Amino acid sequence: MAKHITVGVLALQGGVVEHLNLLRKAAAHILSSPPPPESKAEDLPEFTFTEVRTPQQLAQCDALIIPGGESTTMAIVAQRLGLLEPLREFVKVQHKPVWGTCAGLVMLAEQVSATKQGGQELVGGLDVRVLRNKFGTQLQSFVAGLELGFLEKGGEAEPFRAVFIRAPVVEEVNIATQREEKGNGPVEVLGVYQQGQGKEGNKDIVAVRQGNVFGTSFHPELTDDARIHVWWLRQVVDAVRHGGLVINGA
Amino acid sequence: MSANGSSQANGANDFTVKAGLAQMLKGGVIMDVTTAAEARIAEEAGAVAVMALERIPSDIRKMGGVARMSNPKMIKEIQEAVSIPVMAKARIGHIVECQILEAMGIDFIDESEVLTPADDQFHVEKSPFKIPFVCGCRNLGEALRRIKEGAAMIRTKGEAGTGDIVEAVKHIRTVNAEIARAKAALAAGGDLALRALAREIGCDADLLKQTAELGRLPVVNFAAGGVATPADAALMMQLGCDGVFVGSGIFKDATPEEATKRARAIVKATASYTDAAALIEASIEHGTAMKGISNAGMKPEERMAGRGW
Repeated sequence: MAKHITVGVLALQGGVVEHLNLLRKAAAHILSSPPPPESKAEDLPEFTFTEVRTPQQLAQCDALIIPGGESTTMAIVAQRLGLLEPLREFVKVQHKPVWGTCAGLVMLAEQVSATKQGGQELVGGLDVRVLRNKFGTQLQSFVAGLELGFLEKGGEAEPFRAVFIRAPVVEEVNIATQREEKGNGPVEVLGVYQQGQGKEGNKDIVAVRQGNVFGTSFHPELTDDARIHVWWLRQVVDAVRHGGLVINGA
Repeated sequence: MSANGSSQANGANDFTVKAGLAQMLKGGVIMDVTTAAEARIAEEAGAVAVMALERIPSDIRKMGGVARMSNPKMIKEIQEAVSIPVMAKARIGHIVECQILEAMGIDFIDESEVLTPADDQFHVEKSPFKIPFVCGCRNLGEALRRIKEGAAMIRTKGEAGTGDIVEAVKHIRTVNAEIARAKAALAAGGDLALRALAREIGCDADLLKQTAELGRLPVVNFAAGGVATPADAALMMQLGCDGVFVGSGIFKDATPEEATKRARAIVKATASYTDAAALIEASIEHGTAMKGISNAGMKPEERMAGRGW
């Protein structure tokens, strides 16, 4: 049975169109790839990609991307539009697949440092502490080639061209939190950025996953490289088939 | 789980990073602020960035004299007060003001006609700077000339400090109409027709072709100049702008409480610019707008939008 899958991009502010474009590209890639031998042609899903601005639109979604932008703005606007609680429910109770890039990673963290005075509202879901603007102001924004082990099996593919803009990093994983919802297992570190060479080089965690929640501190949506979108979308397909839970370590 | 190579430094990456910050500001409101306290009000209201300047445009207009880059001391105080990006204005063509702002770690430079131009021949050559620039335009040719010089973001010029939206509307409509013309030219006459159009509007032919193919400017395009109400902000978004600058519209003749309400209302209207119910709520919250100056009665020498080329 062909399954219909709706993936939303939170459209309060930021790089929304960029994610939608790469999702479409990723879907075309998945649908044109040879299916695994055991699957039938009718197993191919149908995708819908849509902007999410209201709780009603969120309720239509099987999975969600929280894009890059300004996390303070997104949190304030989400709160005023009555979206914060529905987002928390989506991520932490329904356990639907969610991916946050940059500001989206900040939103999905359970704790954040270097916020505006008085802190900021978060959705949560990742038991990590994220440090905002780790590298400094726009002068310290940069592009770096990242080796992301989860992307390619052969190891011959090119490094991922990762764009870091006033980027946050994950400064601590598996932090103790007060949250009641459980069942996601530990945080997996999926990507590290190293400044400088050798052992002296400073290493920063820039990609993490915990169950249904995935976060990157860089912006795949600012490239035309859809590899991470393809990888994530395949997990979304699996999650929908398995009733909403991503299998750890897939 | 693995390490990476060192970061590359080349022109393409530099521009990705500059234009990328502008893309991250889309759907947001950038507010003019003159003190750290105003910057905090803007941040709490949900601004995506603040523009640090000594006087809001309506006061520059009233006081006259030469308007220049703000005092770095005041800009620093604002940088220390907020966690969102901080922009600042340099005079058209004033390379050294730009160098100072870059060295201060400003996130974006506005080469702005609101200040008194420093060079009547040349805008700043923006590509060599590591800091992104935003520049104003009244039409497509002007936008593409600025992008050719390295601007990573464009805004309408509008007529700053007036609270009258008419000029900003004229500028975005002109840009949209000329993009439609470029698309038609490309479809009908190919490269040859586009080169003719590029000569006519005075811009780079390759950038014009890119624009025609994309059906939009190749960088983010915000509204600026005359935005005074939530409805003004939503109007500019519906006309195709990617976000909004609000200069005098928030803090002009307003108590901190009134400014907070205006700021929150304009943020909400920009995020929900097609949602009539949200626009009603935002308009009620906004309250009284700045009094403003009608553009219709202005003398040419009073207009800021005419500065630059």
